[in-house]
Amino acid sequence: MDTPSLRRAAATAAICVGGLLWLSAILLMARTAQHAEPFSRLHPWILMINVAGLVVLLALLATKLVQLVRDWRGHVIGSRLKARMVWTFGVLATLPILLVYFFAVQFLSRGIDSWFNVEIRQSLDDALVLSRSALETRMRDHLAATELIADELAMNGGTAPGILEMLRRQSGALELVVATDSGAIVAVSRGLETDVVPDEVPGEVLMQAKQGSPFVSLEPLAEGGYLIRTAVPLGGVAGDRSDMVVQAIYPVAERLGALADTVQAAYQQFGEKDYLRKPLKASFILTLTVVLLLSLLAAWYGAIFTAQRLVQPIQDLVKGTRAVAQGDLDTRLPLTSHDEMGFLVHSFNDMTKRLRHAREDQQRAQQAAETERANLAVILARLSTGVVALEPDLRIRTANRAASSILGEELDGFIGSRFAGLGAPEGLLRQFGEACRSRLAAGETEWREQFVFQAGSGRRVLMCACTPLPAEGEAPGGYVLVFDDITVMLQAQREAAWGEVARRLAHEIKNPLTPIRLSAERMRLKLMPSMNERDARLLDRGTETIVQQVEAMKEMVNAFSEYARAPRVEMAEVNLNRLVTELTDLYRAQVAGRGVTLEVRLDPGLVAVVADRGRLRQLLHNLLTNAVEALEGRPGGAIAVVTRLAERGGGRVAEIAVEDNGPGFQRELVGQVFDPYVTTKARGTGLGLAIVRRIVEEHGGSVEAENRPDGGARVRIELPLDGATRGETVLRREPHWPETRRERA
Amino acid sequence: MSNSQSRAGHFSGRSSGFPLAWLLCFFATLLCGPVRAADTTLEVIGASIKLDEGVYVLDADLEIDLPGGARRAIDAGLTLRLNYEIEMERVRRYLPDPDVAALVQGYELSYHALSQRYILRSLNTGEQQDVGSLAAALDRLSSVRGLPIIDAALLEPGPAYAVRVRAVLTLRSAPDTLSWLLFWTDDWSATSEWYTWTHRR
Repeated sequence: MDTPSLRRAAATAAICVGGLLWLSAILLMARTAQHAEPFSRLHPWILMINVAGLVVLLALLATKLVQLVRDWRGHVIGSRLKARMVWTFGVLATLPILLVYFFAVQFLSRGIDSWFNVEIRQSLDDALVLSRSALETRMRDHLAATELIADELAMNGGTAPGILEMLRRQSGALELVVATDSGAIVAVSRGLETDVVPDEVPGEVLMQAKQGSPFVSLEPLAEGGYLIRTAVPLGGVAGDRSDMVVQAIYPVAERLGALADTVQAAYQQFGEKDYLRKPLKASFILTLTVVLLLSLLAAWYGAIFTAQRLVQPIQDLVKGTRAVAQGDLDTRLPLTSHDEMGFLVHSFNDMTKRLRHAREDQQRAQQAAETERANLAVILARLSTGVVALEPDLRIRTANRAASSILGEELDGFIGSRFAGLGAPEGLLRQFGEACRSRLAAGETEWREQFVFQAGSGRRVLMCACTPLPAEGEAPGGYVLVFDDITVMLQAQREAAWGEVARRLAHEIKNPLTPIRLSAERMRLKLMPSMNERDARLLDRGTETIVQQVEAMKEMVNAFSEYARAPRVEMAEVNLNRLVTELTDLYRAQVAGRGVTLEVRLDPGLVAVVADRGRLRQLLHNLLTNAVEALEGRPGGAIAVVTRLAERGGGRVAEIAVEDNGPGFQRELVGQVFDPYVTTKARGTGLGLAIVRRIVEEHGGSVEAENRPDGGARVRIELPLDGATRGETVLRREPHWPETRRERA
Repeated sequence: MSNSQSRAGHFSGRSSGFPLAWLLCFFATLLCGPVRAADTTLEVIGASIKLDEGVYVLDADLEIDLPGGARRAIDAGLTLRLNYEIEMERVRRYLPDPDVAALVQGYELSYHALSQRYILRSLNTGEQQDVGSLAAALDRLSSVRGLPIIDAALLEPGPAYAVRVRAVLTLRSAPDTLSWLLFWTDDWSATSEWYTWTHRR
């Protein structure tokens, strides 16, 4: 059995024992009130026990009431209901108890008064007077007889025993005594039924005899019955003063004495009870009052106890409900009864159990959803495709890392911001946001489109698909933008196409060039000697032109062939700074003759890169040639070659930048300068930068061309130094390469 | 023989109250116990023992003054009981004093309405006397003469004996069944101080 159960059992036992004790005390008090002699001496203690019980009950009740008031003021749950129930129960119990008490007191008071009504008192008084009258008649007779005896003794002048005995017998006295006024017995005559030794003559007899008055009294006997004591001065009633006194004691008839005793006893008992009437009423009323108070306090205590028992499950329910509201679904209420309240408690427990199971299911589902979401987030994060989720009001809900990478802005900082209008004014993010907003603003919620933007680094082509997110209503719950930067892919496709063109040129055009040239030279050789001078000059110019153009075409085809050729790359550690120095030294004299300065700024911390030295040399050669050609005819030309060790995406890269202060790239061609046959120069094949980009991509690097803010062009190349960076770069480009490599093969 | 007189006690009686007021003074009543009558006087004003034919007998005088309420209670039928408590013990210096003799002499005084006489009865001997007035009855009760205490042979010559006398007065109901009600009446009971003296044989 648990501790609360033990405590409840102990409390119940204490209440039962206390109740039995008080009930016993009340019964004992009632017994004492019913003249139960054995309990008379215990009356104060019994009363004290009752009062102690009263005090204990009062203290318990006061404690409960104080607690109730405190709960009321503290707005404790259920305190108001409990107070109302206590009040109702208490009043319902108090009213009948008070009513019964009032009438009981009235009946008791009037009943006791009726016991001592005037008629009974008067009857007893009359009986007493009547008894006295009857006895006084005899007393007067006996006094008269005593006076005759005294006269006789006075006349005879002697107190001889014979005369005294005769007079006693004649008068019927039990005892006849002649004594002096000081009490000394002179003569005595006694009947046989009396004691041998006579009693002293009482002082009051002597005193009255001294005054010359006769004395007569009725003397009750201890064993019942009466004697009549008479005394007169010796000398009789004539008033003669004498120092002698005659005392005669007469018996009272047994029957008369018994009746007188009965009257006396009744009178005495009545008088005694009449005297104790007020205490009797007070004790009865007090007993009743104590019982009333005990009952009343017990009723109030019972009301509180009952209310508490009734309210407790409600309080438990409210507490349980609050606990459930705060998320504590492990709340279990004690089932204390099997009535409707017990059913309610059982239902509550069942409800919390179901809720707990539902919450556990929900938690499991939520956990699964979280896991799925985490997996999705990982997938999204690892995707090379940009994904941006938008709210219905086009605020960014989430974006993956690839989106930030493609758009060139860290989108995590823009979560919650409107997608349109973000980023730099000419930036890719701003252009992309506006483009998406315009499509969505036009009411197009599901579309797929290829956007071409001019960003600072050049032309960017984004393939974007928009899909509305499901929502509860008709309005979409948001949008998902899935986009990819297909600039490189398109570039690769173009390169592949150009490679094909180059191979066809090499195959279809270069092969006929030699027969054409040989045919032209043969024609010249065979026909010129037989022609006239005019025709010979014409033939010579014609064949010379054919040969020159064929050579030009041959050079062009060779250039294409070089572009399309799949070189054999031999990777080795290359000191980039040294390579730049060697190459720029070759150009330094050349450009100096054209009035162009060549500046080299090398990063001494730049470590060796793993690359094909010959290809890198060609790369630098193409860039320097481009720069020199761009500065032709421009005074004050300046070329700068800069190397730098830089950090990119957590890895190190070797950066090579070739700058000039020439006219720069045409703005509309900035994004296409690496395409074959894109050139702004009057001469040239337009393959220089295309070959540069190919070499860079062969090394897993990146290249970009831009116009410098202060004029001129800048081509910047990044070559990965670390394996990871290198691998990542290659991997990022990988989707575009297989096709290209196949084409080259 | 040397006598050392002690003072008698004066006791106060309770005044009767309103029935409902009982409740209020209830605790005080129970806590304080029986409250002595204020104007009952009971004092041993003199006592001595003397040798009478080989027996030590006691002569004692008492001052009894009953208040009017007590007199009315007696006239109404209640019985006054007066006990003389006499104790004699041997005085020892270091050891507890052993009791030599202890005696209670009881008397009852009641009013006989039919004869209009006051009855005095010795509870020890059953002897009964009657007098015509309460004053005479109290006067008779207040004097004890020649009450045998102890045989002289039981006292050793030389040692000192402490003799003490006191009186206990109570008012009680003739039938004991109503005596519990006296708890709720004025209390005229009284107990005198011990009257103590030393006796040497």
